[in-house]
Amino acid sequence: MKLYKKEGNIIQILSFPNETVEKGDYLLIEDADAGKALIVQVIDVQFASIPGILEELLRSLPDGGELIQGEDFDPLEIAPHITYIQDASLLICKIRATMENESLSPSSSWLPSRSQSTIKKLPIPALIKLAKIDGKLPIILGGTKDSSLLTIDATSLDGRLNIITGKKETGKSHLSKLLMLNLIGYKATVVVFDLNGEYLSLGMTTDGKRNAYYDKIHVLTPSQNFKVALKQLNLHVLLEILIHALHLPGTSAREFRRIWQSLKERDMLNMHELGEAIRNWHCNQHVRDALFSRYYALVNSCFFTDNVAEATFLEESMFKAKEHGGAIIINLRNTSPIDRQIVVEYLLAKFVELLTSSRLEAIFLFAEEAHLYLRETYWDDIVTRMRHFGIFTTFITNQPDTVRENIYRQADNIFLFNFTNEHDLEVVSRAARVDAETVKSIARDLPPHYCLGLGRVVRDFPMVIKVKALDVKTMGETRLFFRNIN
Amino acid sequence: MDTTLPQRLIEQSLHSLKHVQNHSFQLNQQTIQQNNNNFETQTLQLKLQPIPLQPKHEETIVAAVDTSSMKIGETATGILIAVRGANVWKQNKSYRYIRLGPFIFHITEENKREVYNTLQTAYFNTQHEHNHHSPPNLQQMPTRIANLLERWLQTMLTKTINNGLILFDGSLTTGTADTPTPLMKEILETARKRRNIVLAFSKMTNLRFNGHLITDILLEHKPPYLLETAGLKTKPPIVLLGDVYVARLTKGNYAFRLDIDKQATPEQKIEAVEKLLGNDILQQSYPETLRLAHILCTFTANEVIAMQHFTAQAYKLEIINRPDMHRLLFGPFGKGDANA
Repeated sequence: MKLYKKEGNIIQILSFPNETVEKGDYLLIEDADAGKALIVQVIDVQFASIPGILEELLRSLPDGGELIQGEDFDPLEIAPHITYIQDASLLICKIRATMENESLSPSSSWLPSRSQSTIKKLPIPALIKLAKIDGKLPIILGGTKDSSLLTIDATSLDGRLNIITGKKETGKSHLSKLLMLNLIGYKATVVVFDLNGEYLSLGMTTDGKRNAYYDKIHVLTPSQNFKVALKQLNLHVLLEILIHALHLPGTSAREFRRIWQSLKERDMLNMHELGEAIRNWHCNQHVRDALFSRYYALVNSCFFTDNVAEATFLEESMFKAKEHGGAIIINLRNTSPIDRQIVVEYLLAKFVELLTSSRLEAIFLFAEEAHLYLRETYWDDIVTRMRHFGIFTTFITNQPDTVRENIYRQADNIFLFNFTNEHDLEVVSRAARVDAETVKSIARDLPPHYCLGLGRVVRDFPMVIKVKALDVKTMGETRLFFRNIN
Repeated sequence: MDTTLPQRLIEQSLHSLKHVQNHSFQLNQQTIQQNNNNFETQTLQLKLQPIPLQPKHEETIVAAVDTSSMKIGETATGILIAVRGANVWKQNKSYRYIRLGPFIFHITEENKREVYNTLQTAYFNTQHEHNHHSPPNLQQMPTRIANLLERWLQTMLTKTINNGLILFDGSLTTGTADTPTPLMKEILETARKRRNIVLAFSKMTNLRFNGHLITDILLEHKPPYLLETAGLKTKPPIVLLGDVYVARLTKGNYAFRLDIDKQATPEQKIEAVEKLLGNDILQQSYPETLRLAHILCTFTANEVIAMQHFTAQAYKLEIINRPDMHRLLFGPFGKGDANA
């Protein structure tokens, strides 16, 4: 390999056919005289611009598009040299770091010698060691391109905002399960908003037996084993639900606040009394109608109960998870969109309450397709305010444009699966910790179950990872009509 | 088939390169594809009555020869040159080729005589008396060696094809160092014995009629047609072995000097061109077979790099890049040695 050109933080390297380099590989450009080396990553492999190549190709196809037949008497065997030159490739590389005295810095302000530098492949294990990617709490994500294991440090997810994205059936949920189970293994409290019921059987192996996580997976299904009593609620939480999930106008909200305080003063906070209070409250008929319609929405969700004994599972599960590590799976599979919003509004408020009162330390929240239940104003709330309380979110989506741009900008880690759509890649490339060229070039060619890890988890050395298999019942597969054909 | 010349080409190539090991090697600042152009500025008569042509589709083999040479670099003691040749023929509506080379030589003042004489002897000794021309200077060597190869390829075609049309690149003017008259006569004689007609197309000519290049005189007549010339006189030792025509074979303003074997009857000459029209593709008045022969032997920049790579690898030549003095002194006005 030969150093050819540097423009900004892009280095172009000429590579010959006997040097097998692929997109995503890391190269070390060592300048012995300078005592420094550049670590660069191949983000694209192109044909080298060889003079006369067009003539060469045209010459081989002169006969109306058919190859002209003939014999070459090439005594000096120049032909292999011609092929060697023709097949030379140009590696477009992104500078990732400078290595000096075994320490890394993100600088790219120096230029290695074009004639004296040596270029060699940097094996991923060596890079992991140099960059100190694996830490004290290792999570094995899977294999790298050179078949070594890629281990990240669980602490690189702690306090961070993560995004897992990619098109359908590329393995996003699989990775989120892997991260989640590993966090549980380190006694973390994990909450999953499970839209499709994919996480319900994580406590089982693929053959249906209980696994090591069985006792740590707590599935809560709203209106079944997950209900709340009004007495457990703060007024502001219910108002959030009424205003944001059920779109209660401001005037009506003010009346509701009075009703609530009246009931609370009389220690009569339950659904039945709430209905009666609305019926008998002296107020404008329109306000009453508005309050009634929301009241019945709450009643019909079956999420609210007057039996306090029925409404203890969430806190019980949270405290179990706090003690031993565990995941609370909020099963939103058969929940209507309105009810989903009610449940999520309640939960987020509840988490903040538990965290501010220090009854919980921190929560790793995994939110699948969050745009389906998260109201607009919560996005910023989650990545800024709630993060300070200790809610560390991982968004999982196959529609990257549903995640707001400022979320990408603040994302600490991105696990990017295959996207072929230019628009999708454009959206993801807005993330602050990633450069657009890398995203667009590498993500487009990722096979299923391979992801591009970006951000803190890989110490800003983007890496292609083959996500390892899990021996858990994932239930993420789509139920097919023609499933019995093969 | 006598393969003495190709064998000698290989031997001389390897032998000459052996002596270049571990030298430094200066890449050419201008790599110039060398072609042999005989600049004979002469006037003649042109019969302005066109000879109309009708394509004859009677199945006839069309074959063509071309060679190419190139200087690919310089060493402290000489030059590195490459030579390649190609025979192309069209049979059963498809083109086929045989390509020989590239042969790479390291030519120095010391070995140029040996290289040239060995190659000359390899070819001429088998058929002719010793050629009396002295070895060329270094700069002429690529063309000279290429011409030797070209004559051999022409001979091969004339010996293997029957009832065909054999196309040469250039003219049928002989008596130069590259075109010994006896040799060319024998090539034509061999062709005739096998009922082949030799047609030689010149891409450039200096023959003039009334002050104009003969190929610039385009009549109103609808192509294809030939214009016959007369009165072209040569001084010894130059000999014309062909009759010279202006051939305008397709629409458009392209015409070429066409030499046809003098020994053929006028009818045979016209019939040969008509068969060419009926059996080969002609674009811009130029036969495809000859065009392919040219294309196949021409060195592309890519191949030049590959040959430089080969010599550097196989003979441990250290590639150096001396500054181009023209560029150095005159900047953008310095166009290099070739245009000095």
